[in-house]
Amino acid sequence: MFVIITYDVGEKRVGKICKKLKEYLTWSQNSVFEGEITKTLLLQCLNEIESIINPDVDSIYVYEVRNPNHMKKTAYGVEKSFDDIFL
Amino acid sequence: MNKDYYIFKSGRMRRKNNTFYFIDKEENKKSLPVHQMENIYVFGKVDFNTDFLNMLTQHNVRIHFYNYYGFYNGTYYPRSRQVSGFTVVNQSNHYLNEVKRQYLAKQFVSSSAFHMLRNLRNHKNYDEVASIMESMQSHLDLLDNVQRIPEIMGVEGTIRQLYYASFNYILPAEFAFDERTKRPPKDPLNAIISFGNSICYTTVLTEIYKTHLDPTVSFLHEPSTKRFSLSLDIAEIFKPLLVDAVIFALLNRKQIKTSDFEYLEDMVILNDSGKKKFIKEWNGKLETTIKHRRLKRNVSYKYFIRLECYKLIKHFIGDQQYKPLKAWW
Repeated sequence: MFVIITYDVGEKRVGKICKKLKEYLTWSQNSVFEGEITKTLLLQCLNEIESIINPDVDSIYVYEVRNPNHMKKTAYGVEKSFDDIFL
Repeated sequence: MNKDYYIFKSGRMRRKNNTFYFIDKEENKKSLPVHQMENIYVFGKVDFNTDFLNMLTQHNVRIHFYNYYGFYNGTYYPRSRQVSGFTVVNQSNHYLNEVKRQYLAKQFVSSSAFHMLRNLRNHKNYDEVASIMESMQSHLDLLDNVQRIPEIMGVEGTIRQLYYASFNYILPAEFAFDERTKRPPKDPLNAIISFGNSICYTTVLTEIYKTHLDPTVSFLHEPSTKRFSLSLDIAEIFKPLLVDAVIFALLNRKQIKTSDFEYLEDMVILNDSGKKKFIKEWNGKLETTIKHRRLKRNVSYKYFIRLECYKLIKHFIGDQQYKPLKAWW
């Protein structure tokens, strides 16, 4: 499935969360990650993130798109990072 | 699901923050999700260190290298976790026993020829193609009578030659060719076939690594010391099914034009834009799924390659006789 993860966490933990998410998804904007991922990997990823965040003040949102055909992404202005298999 | 990455730029691959980073010459950094990675194909000039290789091993990612001309150079593959002496011994037994080896070699050739004929099926309306198909079929019938491996190879060679001769009738005129030339390819069509085949070999090799099979012990091709010849054997089945289908689609849709080739002295190769177009189509093809008759679920072409490996293992250990894939759809 396709997921979009956004996070709003304390300053100290921003870097940690960002690094962790980079292992799993594509970094599309500050505090926003997106990409294709399996259920298992997503669970594993969220588990690791839970151990980093402070549940009293931080928040993580996960948007799941089960059918990628239902998703349309339009970028206005500069498209900063798009998922490309060619480097 | 897992992704392959193709590096055309020059730069540096490194391990950082527990994931992979690609840093190009202009110092642009890009992080690549390590958990989603399956293969890295390197066409550019890339440096890396052992930290990076250790990380590849940890996450079971293979890295394939191609030289400037797009020819396959080699693979770094992680220490195999899929070893089974039992399978290897039995696999070798099927090589050493002449009768058993012939059986497998013939299976590969017959499946390959079946898929070649299948490709031409839609072009029967050309009289030339129809007559070529007939003579291919008659050569295929000879397969039952020949015994020795070089003879089987000979039958395969003739069938393939006839098959390539039919390309002139079904592809746009600017891609006509006289004969198959390798090392080096001398015209655009030869260049794209060569590139496609080498990509196919590595895809098959990747799937073999996921199983217990030993990629060096082969049956139709002589197991030589320099190549992973089992992947050549299995690729025989998939070359007409995948590579040629992709080539037909790209050329007939005029997606790849003569400007996607680089003309060097005495040889023609695909340039970067041509390679990218091919790989994009190739990846799409591998992900295409077909409902499997026995498994009763959708199976991608990529997984069909792995199923072929599993069938071979079953054959080697005496579980079930090997019947090669013959596309039924």
